[in-house]
Amino acid sequence: MTGEAERDGGMTGWLEPRLRLGPVLGAALHVRVPMAARTYYFGGIALFLFAIQVVTGTLLALYYKPTPDAAFESVKFITSDVSFGWLIRSMHHWGANLMILFVVAHLLRVFFQAAYKFPREITWVIGVGLLGLTLAFGFTGYLLPWDQRAYWATVVGTEIAGSVPLVGEPLMLLLRGGMDVTEATLSRFFGIHVLALPLIMAGLVGVHLLLVHQLGLAHPKRPEPRQGDPTPSTPSTRSTPSTPATDERLRPFWPHYLLDELIAWYVLLGILVVLASMFPAGLEEEANALETPAHIKPEWYFLAVYELLKHVPRIVGILLPVVGIGLLTVWPFLDRSPEVLARRRKVAVGGATLVLAAGIGLTIWGYVS
Amino acid sequence: MRRDVLRGRFTLVRRAVAFVLPSAALVALVLLAVAGSAGSASAQDPTGSPDPSATAGPAAPPVPPAPTPIVHPSDGSSNTCYDCHLAVNDRQKAISETWKNSIHGAGGIGCADCHGGDPTSDQVTVSMSEEAGYIGTPGRERTVGVCGSCHSDPERMRRYNLPTDQYAKYWRSVHGERLATSRDDRVAICIDCHGSHDVKKVADSTSPVYPVNVPRLCASCHADADRMKPYGIPTDQFDVYQGSVHGVALLTNLDVRAPSCASCHGSHDARPPRDTEVVDVCGKCHTATQALYEESRHAELGPASPKCWTCHGTHDVTQPGVRLFFHEADAPYQCTTCHSASDPSVLRIELDRFENEADRRCDTCHHARSTIYSQVEGIAGALSGAQSAYDTAAARITEAARLGMIVTDADVALSEAKTSLIQAQAAVHTTKLTVISGLATEAESKAVGASDMAGAKIDESVFRRGAMVVVVVLILVNVAALYLVKRRLDRQLHG
Repeated sequence: MTGEAERDGGMTGWLEPRLRLGPVLGAALHVRVPMAARTYYFGGIALFLFAIQVVTGTLLALYYKPTPDAAFESVKFITSDVSFGWLIRSMHHWGANLMILFVVAHLLRVFFQAAYKFPREITWVIGVGLLGLTLAFGFTGYLLPWDQRAYWATVVGTEIAGSVPLVGEPLMLLLRGGMDVTEATLSRFFGIHVLALPLIMAGLVGVHLLLVHQLGLAHPKRPEPRQGDPTPSTPSTRSTPSTPATDERLRPFWPHYLLDELIAWYVLLGILVVLASMFPAGLEEEANALETPAHIKPEWYFLAVYELLKHVPRIVGILLPVVGIGLLTVWPFLDRSPEVLARRRKVAVGGATLVLAAGIGLTIWGYVS
Repeated sequence: MRRDVLRGRFTLVRRAVAFVLPSAALVALVLLAVAGSAGSASAQDPTGSPDPSATAGPAAPPVPPAPTPIVHPSDGSSNTCYDCHLAVNDRQKAISETWKNSIHGAGGIGCADCHGGDPTSDQVTVSMSEEAGYIGTPGRERTVGVCGSCHSDPERMRRYNLPTDQYAKYWRSVHGERLATSRDDRVAICIDCHGSHDVKKVADSTSPVYPVNVPRLCASCHADADRMKPYGIPTDQFDVYQGSVHGVALLTNLDVRAPSCASCHGSHDARPPRDTEVVDVCGKCHTATQALYEESRHAELGPASPKCWTCHGTHDVTQPGVRLFFHEADAPYQCTTCHSASDPSVLRIELDRFENEADRRCDTCHHARSTIYSQVEGIAGALSGAQSAYDTAAARITEAARLGMIVTDADVALSEAKTSLIQAQAAVHTTKLTVISGLATEAESKAVGASDMAGAKIDESVFRRGAMVVVVVLILVNVAALYLVKRRLDRQLHG
């Protein structure tokens, strides 16, 4: 029997009796998604970028030396001397920026389509956690080249963290590993960046995807039916492999939806290659704790908070983002109405639009100021 | 021409006096006369360059008047003057408060220390009485003596770690000399620069004698045409200095290492540097350049030697460069610029020819038919070549950096080339072609190395962009193929 399968099915036929993954893969792939769903592939692209970061980050770690004496020179060596080191480092650099961009875009898409509502509250909370992890990746990775920009941005960033009421000072000491940004800071940022964060993120991404798989994609125009609803408004978005594809409003995840994702990933890969080639990751002068540069600015994704701090009392500037992130996390438990249409969620959509506009405005202001 | 004749006569007189008359008293008198003639020569000199022929040593200093300390009763702490004057009127109140905030007020130097009187009595008839030694506002000459009474006293100044030679120096300055010999009290005295009630530390950036403020302080008198008219000296020094490399560094870039008026003229002992002093004056800061100059053939020429100001000017020092070698057009040279009219074998230097910046060129003396002209050409060619190679390398590095390339190595190589280039430029002061050519060749070679590194970066960037186009085309082909598959699948789904 096994021999026949091997003969008939080639490699798949040979592997299946040995792994018995067929049912698992079938369950994972043979699901259906609403044709009306408009995800813009943001989540999938963020996942693709995470994969790019893992691959390029692993390659960089082969050469990177996380000590103040060697870090800068090792990054310079990677960029200047290692074959295609410039490409790997530049893709890691741009991949990080694009990943933050697409995670935020994914969050906004989910928010405006009300996809965080029942039964996807936990998926949303994990998603907000993944955004936090992505920003933590950016913050810890930024220090690693150990050049002037990296060093002083970290000094400013950890000082801001130190201003958080109650926990600020211990938090800053914990981040820096002392009173100043030193070798201890570099060691722990490296450890967090390449060990702690990837493991946590891989775990949370797994749970996030599992929940997406279990709950399916939200219909952008109809609320999810709850148990005991008299008239279910939409058919289940999930189906087993045995469910016939008779509902015209659904389409198979495999291969149809996944093919769209693949095209989006290819486009992103092209964008990454263009960015890495046209604007390769640079390197300033080596970090010097005794020479403060004239203009220190954080990366673009922290510019809004940085600009806010310049115009409001420090305590307000610190608490506002903290409260904002807290509010964002628990939002599905505050907004419990089943309504999903944006035009009927004027307060939530209007408020989010204002916050988004303020964030973009502050970022631009911070960039030009 | 008439000036030359007059100057020639002065020179003759001076030589005769120096060698013929042995009497020290007569020498002093003649030197005084020379100082007077230097003043009138300066009046004709728009750049304020001192008379190069004034090569005699410093005049014997007049014996300074004795300081005039104020003696007054004191219990060590009372200052009733302050208490009363606060309430007299607004002007007196302002003066009292200004003193209180001054370095003297903070250090316990009270009103009576300068004005006399009895600061322990609150009766005006006692505290401001002649019996108590009250002198009111001291006259200008006496003011110098009053300040000097403390500031020349080592015992008093020790606790403040201040020098005590200012008083003696002042009487040797042009200001002090005129005050002592001509009783000219329009000259600057201590309070004109330091203030009276509002004296501040020199290191206080709001003090008028803080280095950055010194040029404007000096200009407050020396740029005043009416005030300077009796002395016949120019008044454009500040305007000229402001645009100079020194003025820009100090006044615009606030670099306190840059020289102010006092750095070259002295402060308490202010007077224009003499021709024999100028190399040492400039050499205070430009130490290495001075050493190179002293190796040169120029330095061997004695009184006829060109000095720093011959090529660089005085108040109008600009950034040097290869332009200093030759006139843009043919140089209208005159034999008498460098040769004595009566005896061409005797070298001299006519500084007036160098008043105009455009004439501060090597070929003003070393004209095209002179034997040294070809050596000047060789030096200029070597430096121009090195400068050109450096500029090319800098431009290529900028281009590579603009393309996003890391150019640290090329920058380091360029810095080394810059060091060699500066050494070659400084070596011009030695006037030795072989030394300069050697350093210029080294600079050029390092600059070419830096340029090659930058060129490799630019080539690498071009390759990357070419490879990027190929990769993007491959990606687009894949996307197109996947899109075709997707269309087929979608048709199957709907069909």
